[in-house]
Formats: sequence, C-alpha cells, structure tokens
Amino acid sequence: MSEHKTDVPYGTLDLLILKTLDTMGPMHGYRIARRIEQVAENLLRLNQGSIYPALMRLEEQGWIRTQWGISETKRKVKFYSLTRAGAKQLSVAVANWERSTALVARFLEAES
Amino acid sequence: MKLRFAAGRLLALVRKRRLDRELDGEILAHLEMAEIHAMAAGLSPEDARREARRGFGGIEQMKEDHRAQRSVRWAENLLRDVRYGVAALARDPGFAAVTIGLLALGIGANTAMFSIVDAVLLKPLPFPEPERMVRLWEAPTPTLHNNTTTLTFLDWKRQGAIFEALSVEEPVRAAVATGADAARLSGKLVSADYFNVFGVKARIGRTFALGEDQPGATPVVVLSYSLWQTQFGADPDILKRDLALDGESHRIIGVLPAGSFDRDEARFWKPLIFAPDELNRGQHWLHVIGRLRAGVSIEQARANMSMLRAGLGGVIPQKNLAFAVDPFAQFLVHDTLRRSIYLAFGAVLLVLLIACANVANLALAKGATRRKEMAIRAALGAGRARLIGQLLTESLVLCLLGGVAGVAVAYLLLHAAAPLVVVLLPSTADLSLDLRVLAFAAAAVMTVLVLTGLLPSLQTSFGKLPSSLNLAARGSSGSNAAVRRTIVIAEVAVSVVLICGAALLFKSLAKLQQVDAGVRIDHVITMSADLPATAYPTPESAATFYEAVVERLRAVPGVEQASVSLDLPLQGVRWGEWISLGGVKEALLVRVKMVDPWYFATLEIPIESGRGIEDRDRAGAPPVMVINQEAARHLSSRFDIAHPVGKAVGIGLPGYGPIPESLVRVQIVGVIRNERTGGLHEPVEPVAYVPLAQVPRQDISLLVRTRSGPLSAMSGIREAVRQVDPHLPLGGVRTMEQVKEQSMLWAKQPTWVVGAFAGVAALMAALGLYGVLAHAVTEQRREIGIRMAMGARPGDVVSHTLRGALAMLLVGLAVGLAGAFALTRALKSLLFEVSALDPAALALACVLMTLVGILAALIPASRAAGVDPMAALRDEG
Repeated sequence: MSEHKTDVPYGTLDLLILKTLDTMGPMHGYRIARRIEQVAENLLRLNQGSIYPALMRLEEQGWIRTQWGISETKRKVKFYSLTRAGAKQLSVAVANWERSTALVARFLEAES
Repeated sequence: MKLRFAAGRLLALVRKRRLDRELDGEILAHLEMAEIHAMAAGLSPEDARREARRGFGGIEQMKEDHRAQRSVRWAENLLRDVRYGVAALARDPGFAAVTIGLLALGIGANTAMFSIVDAVLLKPLPFPEPERMVRLWEAPTPTLHNNTTTLTFLDWKRQGAIFEALSVEEPVRAAVATGADAARLSGKLVSADYFNVFGVKARIGRTFALGEDQPGATPVVVLSYSLWQTQFGADPDILKRDLALDGESHRIIGVLPAGSFDRDEARFWKPLIFAPDELNRGQHWLHVIGRLRAGVSIEQARANMSMLRAGLGGVIPQKNLAFAVDPFAQFLVHDTLRRSIYLAFGAVLLVLLIACANVANLALAKGATRRKEMAIRAALGAGRARLIGQLLTESLVLCLLGGVAGVAVAYLLLHAAAPLVVVLLPSTADLSLDLRVLAFAAAAVMTVLVLTGLLPSLQTSFGKLPSSLNLAARGSSGSNAAVRRTIVIAEVAVSVVLICGAALLFKSLAKLQQVDAGVRIDHVITMSADLPATAYPTPESAATFYEAVVERLRAVPGVEQASVSLDLPLQGVRWGEWISLGGVKEALLVRVKMVDPWYFATLEIPIESGRGIEDRDRAGAPPVMVINQEAARHLSSRFDIAHPVGKAVGIGLPGYGPIPESLVRVQIVGVIRNERTGGLHEPVEPVAYVPLAQVPRQDISLLVRTRSGPLSAMSGIREAVRQVDPHLPLGGVRTMEQVKEQSMLWAKQPTWVVGAFAGVAALMAALGLYGVLAHAVTEQRREIGIRMAMGARPGDVVSHTLRGALAMLLVGLAVGLAGAFALTRALKSLLFEVSALDPAALALACVLMTLVGILAALIPASRAAGVDPMAALRDEG
C-alpha cells in the first residue's frame, strides 16, 4: 500500500494544520497528526514528528497559541488552537492555494 | 498581540532549555498515545512501540528542526534588522550624526554627573564597615558641636567596650627640606589608633603601633602614597629613610595605599604626643573620630557616653555640656554641596529629556517620509511586529552608538572637570567611570531607547496602510504633525525652566560679586607661613620676626605696604571668644584676629573712631583691642555701650606654643569699618582685633600691597623673606582676587553648570523647532504654492510660518513659566538676595527663549517665501 502514498506537498503542512485546528478546535499534537492522517485516508506519508517544528513556526507567527492540558494518558501536554490572526491567515492561504491550483489546472487543461 | 509573540521569540532564545524540556514531554506523550492506539488496533506491546516510533519519524532530526524554527528566525531577523538599521543610517548620515551627537551629549553629561552623585552621595565610604565610623564632640548646647579637651578625650578613650579605636585628628603643617628649596607640607597629628578607625593597613611597612603616641616614643611618620611617589620617587627602600619635619628627624615606618588618603590635603601623619601642660580641661582643641565595636549601635554609644558624662559630673566645669556621637559620613557632605549636586543632576536630566524629545522628533519626521516604504513592505506581507521590530532595532543601533559615544563624552568631561570640581568634594569621593556608572549609562541608553524608539515606531507602523500609501504618495502632512508640535512645545517648556533657573543663579552671582568686601582686593598678594617651634621657641622671637619681615618687604621695589596677620579676609576666622563686660552676666561672642600695626593700612580698612593697632602695642605694653563696627553695634544694642573706645573688657586669648590660654583684661582703643571675614553671602560678624605682638601666632599670613601686578613682585618678596629666615618656606601664594574667587566657588560652579545646561537645552529646543517648521514647510509646499498663485506675497508666507512658531513658543513659555514657578523654589537656598520668583530674571529667560526660537524659525520661513508656485504645483501634478 505504501506505493500509493505521497509526501506532504512542500509548504502545505502549515495549511493542513491551520485547517485542522479551524475545523476541530483546540487539540494536542498527536490528535492533530492523527486527524491529518485520517482525512488523508492513508494517501499521505506523514512523519508525525514533523508537525512539531511546524507548530513552533505557526506559534511564532502568532497564528496559533498553546495552552496546557491533560492528555488521554493523563499527561500534561500542550493544546494548540487557532488565533484570530491564524484564522485570517488561513483564509489568505486557502485563497492563495486555490488560485495557484486553479492556475496550474488551467495550464494543464491548455496543454492537453 | 504581535508584540507579545515578538517578545516570545526573544524569550525562546533565553529559555531554550525550558522549551527543550517541554518538547521532550510532548514527544513522550505523543509516542505513548500512538502506542495505546496501536495496541487498541491489536498489535502486541512490542510491535505497538515500534509502530509508534515508525509513525513519528526521526526524533533527533525533528528536535533539530524544532530548535532551528525557534532560534534561527529570531537571530536572523535581528541580524537583518541590524543590517537594515546600519544601512538606513548610512543612507542618511546627517540624521545619524545629529541623533548620535544629541544622544552622546545627553547620555555623556548624565553619566559624568551621575559619577559625581554616586561618588559623593550614594557610594558607601571607601573603608571597611563605614557605618561603624563616628565623630565625637562636646555639645555645650544641644545644637552646638565643639572640639574636646585632652583629659575628656582620655576619658572617652577608656570606653573600650564601645569603641574599637578612637583617635584625635589635628591638621599640622611642617617644612620639609627636599633639595634646595624648603617646601611646606600639610599633615595630621593623630593617635596611634588613627588608621584602625579607618580600617586601613599600610601598603609598605606598617602604621602606628600602640604606645607610639606616648611621651618618650621615637618620632615616626607615615607617608601618603602620593608623597611617596612625588617626593621620594616611589623608592622601594623608603623604610630605610628618614623625613625631617621642621628640622626634626622622623623615621618613616609606612606608606599608605593609593586612594582616598591621597585626595586628603594631608601628606604625612605623625603621632600626637600630649605635653604635660596639655593635660587639662580648659583647652577645647581636639577633633575626635572613632570606630564602634562590631555590634555596638550608635544609640548604645550615645547612651554610654551620656552615662560617662553624668559620672564625670562637676569634673567638667560647664554644667550643661553633653557628649555627642554622630555618624562619620554625616559631616562629609555639606548641605550646599548636596543641593548643588542635586540641582546640577536635575538640570542634566532635563537636558537628556530634551535630547530624547529631539531624537524622537527626528525619528517621527523620518518615519513620516518612510511611511510609503513601510506601507509597501506591509503590503508585501511583513507583519506589523516585524515592522516595529525593524524600527526598534534601528533605534537600538542609534542608541547604542549614542551610548558608546556618550561614555566617551563622560570620560572627557570628567577629566576636564575633575580638577575644578574635586576641591569642592570630600576627599572620600572617588570620581571614576566604574561599573556602577557604566550600569547607569546602560540604563540611560535603555530609557532613551524606550523614549525615542517606541513612539515613532508605533506611529509609523500603526497607520492604516492603504491610506498611508495614498497619503505618502501625495506628500500631504501626516497625522503625527500634532504629536511633533506637542513635543517641541514640551522642549521649549523644559528649556524655559532651565533658563529661568540659570537666570536666577546668574543674577544671584552678580549680586554676590557686587558685595563690598570692605578690604582692598586688587594689587594685594597673600601667602602663608608657619614659624617652626624649633626656630621660634618664644613669643619674643616670633614678634621679632614679624617686625623684621615687614620692614624687609616694604623695602622691596614695587611694594607699597606689607603686613602680618592670622587669617585672611573672606576665609573665615579660626578663633572665636567670649568678651565679658564687668558687672554684666551676658557675654558677646566675637571672632578674634591677631594683626600687626600695618594690617588696616595694607587692606585700606578705615578707622572709624579711636585708633588702630600701633607700634607701641608690644608685649609688655597694656593689652589693647580694636573692634569692628558690627561688634560696636552689638555692644551698643545689647549692652548699652554707645562709646566702646576706652572700655575695658575680659577675653580669653591663646598662648604661644605650649603656653596655655589665659583670661586677659583688654582695653578697647578703636573701632574700624567692617571687613568681610567670612563668605560674601554670610552676615557680617562681630570681630575683635588684637595686636599680633601681644598675642603672637606661629601659623601666620603675609599680606603685601604692590604698585603694579602683584605676582611680578613675588620674586622680590621671596628674597626678602629669605633674608629674614632662609629656611622658612612660603605656601599658599594667592592674590586677594584669587581669594575672593575661591570664596565664591560654591556659588559659581552650580551657576555655570546650570547655565551651560540651560544653553544646551535652549539650542536643542531651537533645533527641534527648526526641524518641525522646516518639515512643515516642505510638506506644505503645494499649499504655499497655491496661496502664492492666488496672490499671497512672500511677506505673508513668512509671517504665516512665524505665527506658527510663535504659537508653539508662547504655549511652551506659559507651560515653562508654570514649571519654573513650581521648581525654582528648590533654588532658594542657593540664591543670594534674589527671590526665587525674581520677575526680571524670569522675564529675561522668556525673552531669550523667544529670540532663540524666532531665529530658529526664520530659516524655514524664508525658505517658504522662496517657494516657486509654478514649480510647487507642477511637482505634485
């Protein structure tokens, strides 16, 4: 089954995380990773660990914030949630994404 | 919000370890949950763990990524901002130079001033446990402090449970033969315990041992570090050498460490050995310092001393005399000095404030022109925090450069000012740019950064971006014009406060200079000499010297008159005694001056009634006294003696050398016009003059009046003295003009310091005004062009600009005057015969500020008048 899996497209992990937090509300790192894998329905090859540097990056931009909470295993973990700036950034990023995919799609149509 | 995460990034760097720990926790929790999840899916615990690891990916690689995310960005941004900042400064070197110059001046002056404040008022004394150091006095009345007697000092000395060390301290001067010329050096006569009071050990050799202040001990001396350096060429074998003081050989037993003892006038210390006839309770001559035992509080010491006093009872004849113990530090800093320092520090802080205002104003003006750049960068996706961060970093670069230059300025200022200032400071004050002072400079830089950086960067980056893009494109006046005008008004107001203070101080100084000293000031030269007891053992030998030296001096070509006396005018009189009148219980406290028959003539002090001191008033002749008008006034108002001449009074007069003080009946033979014996600002004191021939002294002053420049006669004067006594060194050669200058130093220095700061403040305010107006004219070119096209003449345009300037000036003046009314009260104690609200001085201050302001406004105004309407309109089209 691994033959069908693709890597996370370059620069889209941030978008996936923001979207996930936007729809699901505050959650911890493991849940975010699982959620992305579930939505991708095993089409995606994701190193779960790689979401943590991304989370750090997003937090630094002020797009997400963290709060301490308790995990299902009764451990103190960070819960991440979207900030208002993050929500705005998400809409910008979505628009950008749609524009560029539309652009690429048009090229592909024209070529064929 | 944005600021919070910018700060967060900063914290991330600092709290790297905490973040690493948090990340480890997160990884652990993640793996645990993944494991449980896998087991729920039916894997064995071992497989579940492996699966969890596999799903997570490389842990160490991830950690590296995580760290990179949180630190590199921060460092990168900072580096980039610094690079931008430097580049921006290099693009606009004029702005950078003016800003750094302003900050360097402000921070430098403040740092230098702080080092004085720190050395004099804040730093503990440079001795171990200085809080244990005390001074001991007799208190004849609760408010008076007096020196004590030998026997009382010995009583105190027996209080070993309270005092670890107790010592007397008597200034002494001695002739030291070095090479051909005899020099006079200051020293101190002290108890063997003296250096234990300070807790100071010798650098070379030792300090005094117990018993070296007892009769029969070998004469020994301890040298100051500077004397060892200058007179003995830092000879390492110094302990093998002797020092001849007034011809008497003393074994050198030690050299003190460099430091506060070098700033003291004393160059050598030798034990004070009490002579048998000094063991009395009549002569109040000893100044006592001590060190409390560890754990003994000053209150305990006071209680102990009052018990001791009660125990002594009638042994001390004065019934109400108490013993006083005070902290050593209490009397080091004179009240006037403390006030002057606070005043100067306050003034220099205001200057820094104005410098900050100017820098902020410059930054705002620059920010206005950079709005377009900022708008474009924001449109390209730069977060607001990044923009503020960038602007703040630019400010930081400026402030740091200004701070470094400021420390250099402070160093130069301190070196230039130290010789002028140090004479007024206590010898314990160590002026240097030490760590405390540098920390102050750093704090000043941070404050300046907040004051000058924050407002402009917020102002610049918080505008509505699209509209500022439009505005910037059209070059219309921005919203920060009002802010900038307010800043200029504040600058003017603060300057007015400073100029008012300076005007008051200068007026007070002028008044002080006009005070009639009552003596001839020009063409008079003075010097001091000490007749060593070895060469002049008897009163007669001293009297012979006075006569001979005056005779020789008058024969010197160019010399008109010469005289010998104790103490100079304006320098204070050391002796004070009570004059008692027959049949009256009350007595009159007078200053006592010993003068020779030519003193009044040399200083041109006129005799009002009776006669002066004359040649016939010699030892053996009936004792006489001349009083000044002030003393006569007291006698007339308080004792009903309208005509004092001819009256006989009783007075205690000092003996010569070991001869004790004695009570003498003296006849008043004359009244002279008042001379100023103390400072010019002090009230005239009642003074009694007694013939030097009848009351001879060893520590004398010579006064010589010359026909031409007094200093040119000096070689002749020296030769004349040498003919009388070839071994007698002359010290303290000063003209009366210099004596007068020195007596006014306390008033002069704060005045010039505040005056200089006020001048700098006014210039800075003018610069600020100029900046705002020039900017306004540039921004309003189009408006001005339209008006001129509609028929406005250049004169109208000039007056329009000047009106704007005047409006700012007037508001500033009003606010400043209100501030001056509130603040000049602090000057009151430093002012001489000038009210703190002197209308003439305040008016002068306002006129000066207005003139400077209008001058600053004229340049932009004339530029406005030169606007070519066609060019201005086309430009904007």
